[in-house]
Order: sequence, then C-alpha cells, then structure tokens
Amino acid sequence: MNTQPAAGHNGDVAVDIANVAKNYGAVVAVKQVSLPIRRGEFLTLLGPSGCGKTTLLNMIAGFEAPTAGTVSIDGRDVTNVPPHLRDTGMVFQNYALFPHMNVFDNVAFGLRMRKVEKQKIAHDVEAALDMVKLSGMGGRRVKQLSGGQQQRVALARAIVFGPSVLLLDEPLSALDKNLRTQMQFELKDLHRKTGLTTVFVTHDQGEALSMSDRIVVMSKGEIQQISKPLELYSRPVNSFVASFIGEINQLPVARLKRSGKAVAFAFQDGLALDAGNDGAALPEDDADVSIFVRPESIAIADASGRAGNVVNAKVVSHIYQGTHTVTRIEAAGLGLLDMRVGGGQIIDQKPAGSAIDVHVSLDNAVVLKAVPETK
Amino acid sequence: MNDRRIWWFFIVPCMLVALAVVMSLAAVFQYSFREFIPGSLDTGGFTLENFYNIGRPLYFLVILDTLLISLLTAIFCLLLSYPVAYALVRTEAEWLRALLVILSITPLFTGEIVRTYAWMLVLGSDGFVNSILMALGIVSAPVQFMYTKFGVIVALVHFSMPVMIILLATAISHVNRDYEKAAANLGAAPLVVFWRVTVPLTMPGIVASTVVIFAWTMSAFATPQLIGGGKVLMISNLVYLQGLSSFNFPVAAVLSAVAFIAAVGSLALVQPFVTRLERRVAQQ
Repeated sequence: MNTQPAAGHNGDVAVDIANVAKNYGAVVAVKQVSLPIRRGEFLTLLGPSGCGKTTLLNMIAGFEAPTAGTVSIDGRDVTNVPPHLRDTGMVFQNYALFPHMNVFDNVAFGLRMRKVEKQKIAHDVEAALDMVKLSGMGGRRVKQLSGGQQQRVALARAIVFGPSVLLLDEPLSALDKNLRTQMQFELKDLHRKTGLTTVFVTHDQGEALSMSDRIVVMSKGEIQQISKPLELYSRPVNSFVASFIGEINQLPVARLKRSGKAVAFAFQDGLALDAGNDGAALPEDDADVSIFVRPESIAIADASGRAGNVVNAKVVSHIYQGTHTVTRIEAAGLGLLDMRVGGGQIIDQKPAGSAIDVHVSLDNAVVLKAVPETK
Repeated sequence: MNDRRIWWFFIVPCMLVALAVVMSLAAVFQYSFREFIPGSLDTGGFTLENFYNIGRPLYFLVILDTLLISLLTAIFCLLLSYPVAYALVRTEAEWLRALLVILSITPLFTGEIVRTYAWMLVLGSDGFVNSILMALGIVSAPVQFMYTKFGVIVALVHFSMPVMIILLATAISHVNRDYEKAAANLGAAPLVVFWRVTVPLTMPGIVASTVVIFAWTMSAFATPQLIGGGKVLMISNLVYLQGLSSFNFPVAAVLSAVAFIAAVGSLALVQPFVTRLERRVAQQ
C-alpha cells in the first residue's frame, strides 16, 4: 500500500473516502481504502477487472453500501444517504439512456427532479448539448444516435445539473478505436471547461495516462499507487504497477553491486549490466533486485553506437505495428525480451532465428528490491 | 439443403393439430347458420336468424357482462400482480423469491374447480371472510359475496394471477437495472423511478399481459358457474345452458363464435399497438 497522506476535511477535498471496505460474504471487493479526491481534479481508478474500482465508484454514487468506513461528498457524510440525494452525475458503461425519452427529456431528467423551472430547463439542456457538440439534437430519439452521440448525451445528462462529482464508469469501452481517441480529447476538454471533480474508472492504462491528473492503480481491492501519469510510468512502486502500466520486460533477479560511483547488476550466469546512473535511488549493496526495462530501452547494438551492456540474442519473432516493430528476442542470460525498433526494416534484415546483438539501457529502468516469490 | 427435411418433423405435427382445431371450430360454427327446431336435436336449413337473436337483451346483456367481468378481472389482476412480479424479479433475498414463486406459481397446478371450491369456502355466508367480519363486529349479517359479480371477479383474478405474474416478471426482468440506477443517480426517489422508468419500460408487457388475461377470462366457465350459481352468467355458462339444457345448438354456436371473435379480436387489435410500444422502449 502506498497512500499519500490524507488531505483532511478541508475545502480542497470534494469526495473523501475514508477507511472504506466492502465484502460480499467472504469475498473481499475493497480492503480498507482511504482516498481523498481533490476538488476539480480528474482522478482515474485504474486496474484489472475485479480490482474493486467499480465497487469504489458505486459506493461514491450510493449504489453499494460500504461494509466499513465512510464516504463524504463536499464535507457531508453520505455513507447512509440513498443515491438520489447524493448529487453525483454518472455516465454508465452502456450509457443507460432512457429509451422511452428523446434526447432533450433524457438530459432534462436531472433538472426536472430538482424542480428547476421550465424556461431554465430549456436553456440549461441546450447549453449542455452545446457543450457536448449536439446542439439542436434535442428532438432526436436515442435510437437514432450513433454510439459516440449517445455517449455525449449521457455526458450532457450527467453534467447539466452541475453535480458535486462526475462519475465515469468505463464510458469509452463500447466505442471503436478512432472514436475512443477523439472522445479522450473531448472528455479532457469538457473537464477543463466545467471544472467538475471527475472520477474515471477504466482498465485501459492508455486512457488513464492520457487524461488523468492523478491515477490510482488498484489491484485485489487495494490501492497500489497514487501518482501523476508521468511519475506512474517512470517510477512504479512495485512489480504490479510496473507491469500493468505500459509494456515492460522483467529481467531475472540480479544482485546489485556498487564499486565507487558505478553500479552494476550481476545476473546468475555471469552476465553483468551497468546501471547507467550513480544508483542514489537504488537499494543497498548486495541486495537482490527485480529490474524492469521498457521495450524502447532495448536497441540493436551496432545502431545505438554505445559501448557496454551489449547482450547476444536470437530473434524469435516480429510484430509489425506501422510506426515501429516489436521484436521478441531470446537474450543470453536475460531470457525472452520485447524490444521496440523504429520502422519495419528489421523484419527483413533480421528474420526469426538470426543472431542479433542488443544494447540494454538501464538508465530509465525500474529497479525494485526483489520480493521472494509467494505462490 | 439436406437439413430441410428435419423441418417436416416439426411442421407436420403442427399442421395436423392446427387442422384438427380448425375443423372442430368449423363444425361448431356451421351450426350458427342452421335453423333451430325446438324439441329436436337436429337442426334445420340455412338461416341468418341466429345472429339477429343475440341482439336480444337476454343474450346481449350476458355478452356485455362477460366483457365487463373480463375487463375488470384483467385490470385488478394487473394491479395485484405487478408488485408481486416486481418483487419476484428484483428482490435480493433468495428466500423471498422462493416464497413468491411457491405462492404465486403453485396454484397453477391445482385445477380450476378445486380453486373455485376453495373460494366458495372463503366467500360463503358462513365462510372465512364473513366469519371474520362478523367476529370483528364490522357487519351484523353476512355479506353476500356468493352469486355476485364481485365474488366471481375475486375468484377469477386469483385464478389468473399466476399467469399474469409470469408474463409481467418476464417483462420486468428484461429491463436493465442500469436505467433505474441512472434515474436514481439523477435525483429520482424510488417511487419516481418506478413511475417514470420501470412502468414505461414494461408498458408493452403490461398491455400484452392484460389483453391475454382479458381474452382468457372471456372463456371462463367453472368459476362463474360455481360462484355465480346461475345468477352471474358469462358467455360460456350461457353456451352451456343453451346447448346442453335447451339443446339449442345454433344459438350456442353463435355465442361461441362471439366469444371466439372477441377473444381473438382483442388480441389482434392490440398486437400492433404492443409492437409499436416495444419498438419505442427497445433497449440497445
């Protein structure tokens, strides 16, 4: 567990989740989570399915009651408040637009529930539709809309009454790839324009990295790390986060060796690699460490033009990706590694089975003290 | 395509059953065009007179009563069944669901006559309801439930409820809970969610099941026969009287035709409406 110190009950916290746990009988969905969500931030709950992120979101919305702990919104303890009195705006994974109402009535629903007067409803709904680029579509039936448009209606419906917090439950997962990228930009844009505190749930680390102010990585009902996207990518605190965020190679466990300012890692069968930095942030001498290397830190040796850290390897296979190729190699002493090579020439130059010398740069590698395997 | 042959396995028995039904209906209906000869089991020649006869108050009022009883039965059945069906589908307590299934579905497996006799014990002058009312001093003399339309409708509602509950539960279970959650999230209290989301989304099921119960109550026989005791007549009871007591097969046939047309007609009339409703609330 790596939680930042709680921000306390000051005005900066929009939603405060304090020591919240949720069990379904013997199954633990969320274990003792504390998470102050700052006013106006775009916070992402990221993790594989079953990690507890959706349960946490549902507890903020009020659809699930925590087994222990409290949830507060704007300083008010809402742990026992039913969903309709919580003032949250939620976008569901399947949008849940009311099929028996047109676009206008869907968006107006929250305002009508709040007894807003008719003229203001008409004005606010049009403003919300305008914000999601659907001006003038109020009369359309929900079924006449494309997936992307339905998504926007769901957003407009959730933001139109100015909720205390906007909750997004994997809202992009039903869209195709191009539309998803576009909606990522628009969601960010919308967040900037409205300034709404936003909690976004996803299992897609790309979405999390591209949109969030802070990312909460969860696994097995626990928070693994809370960080800004850049920090999460470059400095994961444990092997789960390292391997969940982006593509990464885990090297076999090595022993850390210091000699003066130089730091090296000694692998089991005599291979040694240079750490590439002074090791100030690294564990102590003689510690067993797990090393994680991004595919972009491994390059063909003669192309890199650098000496040291060159390893003999054999090409196993290539996956062509347009801008680059992911080449899987079997490196002596390091096992299977994925490397990222620009363009696609390598596929013809080094067909599967050919020998290749690679340079493994550990400058940006993630080095964690090895945890004895517990299985 | 060789596998087309397998369809004959299914089609042939269907066709045979359908043919048998159509032929027996035709056999009944041909009587409606025959002349009634009093005192004889045989019928006379071709006539349209029977159709004019059902305009006579004796028959016409029974037809009206039947429509009224069927309509009221369907409506009360809907009002009583919807909450049960809703609880059955939405409850998270397994024991409650099991209890509701047992209470609502098992009556299906007891016959109409058994259930009607049970109601006679409940509704009779010294029956269950009257005993309680008198013991509590609410009434001084037994209330007449037997041989009244009210008594007949009570028994018919109970008789139809299991079917209605099954039909409504199916409709309710097709409503994605996310719609209800979304409405709650937007500020709708539970009752508002129910009226503004659940009921509209189950409207096709509501209309369809009400019409089914209406149509099937049109043909009720044992319940009005026993509880109505000749004082409350529905079409089937009149058919029985005319056909098997007076041996007036032609009038009995005309009345059967009327009941048949009303039942099938109401289903057919409402079907396009239901289809339109379904399209309107169709979920992605």
